[in-house]
Amino acid sequence: MATFKPGLVHTPVTPFKRDQSIDFDTYAKIIEFHLRHGADALALPMPEGEDLSLTDGEQRQLLEFAIGRVKGRVPVIAHVSDAGTSIAVERALHAEKAGAAAIVSHPPYFWHPKPAMVVEHLVRIGSAVRLPFFIVNPPVETVGTTLTTEIVLQVTERLPNLAGVVDASLDFVFMEEVISNGRRLRPDFQLVAGADFIVPTGALGGSGVFSPLSGIAPKLVRALYEFCSKEQYVEAREMQEQIGALHHAVKSAGESGLKDGLAGIKAVLGAMGRECGVPRPPVRPLGEVERGKLMEALSAMAFLRAEPRGW
Amino acid sequence: MPITLKGVMQAPVTPLKDDFSFDGEGFARMVDFHVRHGAPAIAWPHHKAESLNLTIAERKLGAEIAVKTVAGRVPVSIFAGTLSEEDSLDIARHAQKIGADMILAISPYCRRPSPDEIYDSVVRIGTHTDLPILTYNSPWRNGEGVEFTGELTQRLIERLPNYIGMKDASFHSAKYLEISRVALKLRPGFAIIMGVEHLLASYPLGACGSFSSSGAIAPNLCNKFYASLVAHDWETARECQFKISRLWRLFKEQYPSSLKGAMIMMGRPVGPTRSPLPTATKERIEFLRAQLEELGILQTEPHGW
Repeated sequence: MATFKPGLVHTPVTPFKRDQSIDFDTYAKIIEFHLRHGADALALPMPEGEDLSLTDGEQRQLLEFAIGRVKGRVPVIAHVSDAGTSIAVERALHAEKAGAAAIVSHPPYFWHPKPAMVVEHLVRIGSAVRLPFFIVNPPVETVGTTLTTEIVLQVTERLPNLAGVVDASLDFVFMEEVISNGRRLRPDFQLVAGADFIVPTGALGGSGVFSPLSGIAPKLVRALYEFCSKEQYVEAREMQEQIGALHHAVKSAGESGLKDGLAGIKAVLGAMGRECGVPRPPVRPLGEVERGKLMEALSAMAFLRAEPRGW
Repeated sequence: MPITLKGVMQAPVTPLKDDFSFDGEGFARMVDFHVRHGAPAIAWPHHKAESLNLTIAERKLGAEIAVKTVAGRVPVSIFAGTLSEEDSLDIARHAQKIGADMILAISPYCRRPSPDEIYDSVVRIGTHTDLPILTYNSPWRNGEGVEFTGELTQRLIERLPNYIGMKDASFHSAKYLEISRVALKLRPGFAIIMGVEHLLASYPLGACGSFSSSGAIAPNLCNKFYASLVAHDWETARECQFKISRLWRLFKEQYPSSLKGAMIMMGRPVGPTRSPLPTATKERIEFLRAQLEELGILQTEPHGW
């Protein structure tokens, strides 16, 4: 199998109407926006696409809709994560049939299973399909289970289609260990940045990024990505710091104990002229004070003035 | 003259005699070994040096030996972290009196202090001495650690003119960058020193070096690693980083017992480790010998003093 390299992957939000149904007209605009602003691929619905709040049927519908709109212009990566293994396996099979280019999965949500069960869960999803398969290492505070290097290596040994890890843990130690040991098992093993911190991952030998901030600042993310692709990590520092400031402002807004940033991202998108509604319950939208604080932080970020307004 | 901190700075272990008493002569040899093998600074007694298992009197004695042995060849940092803040103040006063170059402070352990409590603690220590002060960010999850945010770092920089740097053990892209981007803007030259050599991910973002975990075993590798970063030679840097990462895995098991065991095997008798930490067994040392040989460390790094 030829190596699938995802490149700069945009991870669109999922817009909802007032009645909480998915707003497909806006979703079509979101997809076009990403394709016009530098996406090498799309991945959906990622956590910033509120996958946890979507029903199984909605996740399938969203993927089919996106693939229909993209029409092969870029690969569409399906995010398939759930608490139960068989639910995730069925959804992965659907994604393959619908024309997804790759599958990306978290460890099982919620249960805190022992490592052997995490391996089993991931192997069952990955072996159900022939597509390239990536595992996400989630932030340590979320979803229950942290992915260890040992788990990744065991899955790699059992799955010929395991392409690599998308790291959202942001943990230097994990990244060092997983890429160095992963490459010993499989020379083309990939480490992909799972948030917009491309410099650390790139310096450690990773490539590609799943970029949650690309809906807000696609130009800056693209420029940072290009510098890192040329191994100009030191030169990329200022851009990475700007991204860091934006990430901090978005993530700190809202009431989420996990700082998931869902309310923040949608508030900023609206302020940039790309109204995507508010998150689904139980996530609360920003209150007036929170919103004011976030907008004030954004107005201090001069680099945002170069970013596209509206669709 | 302002202190320049950069490179893989060495944090010596504390040699003990067979009866577990502090080995002052051995410690002087240890410090001198590091300076002769290229350490750009000496920092003692970090956790690796069993700091919390030493009495305050032993810590003062060791600090005096370190300053005297280094004799101005490189800067010396004295670690003032203790269980009680009164002891930290005492150590800070003593460090200034004996001519150390800076102190490394942490708000007392095992309390999960709030940002305001950390602020008060660091200000109290930092205004108690004229020495430059570094702080230690160690966001461990169980409450024994002390976590610095970017905002807290900013408040401390604005309050303390002698606040010159941060030892960062977050090892986390977002947490690291929160501190570095804020601190380096407010105080250019602020030293961000990684707690272990997880430097490849952080050097491009302004980290100036690390306090070493494996330098007692592999000083040549440490120096080669840092030189490759300065040269932006990322291929060599990766090779070194991944090797150091494997070393760290070997040594973090019951740190610093395994490290001391490996040092003994390489001809630097540093004695046992104080309880409750175990002392490396013969079997463990043999295992380490095989691993270090496979990594090429035994063949390329100094043996003896």
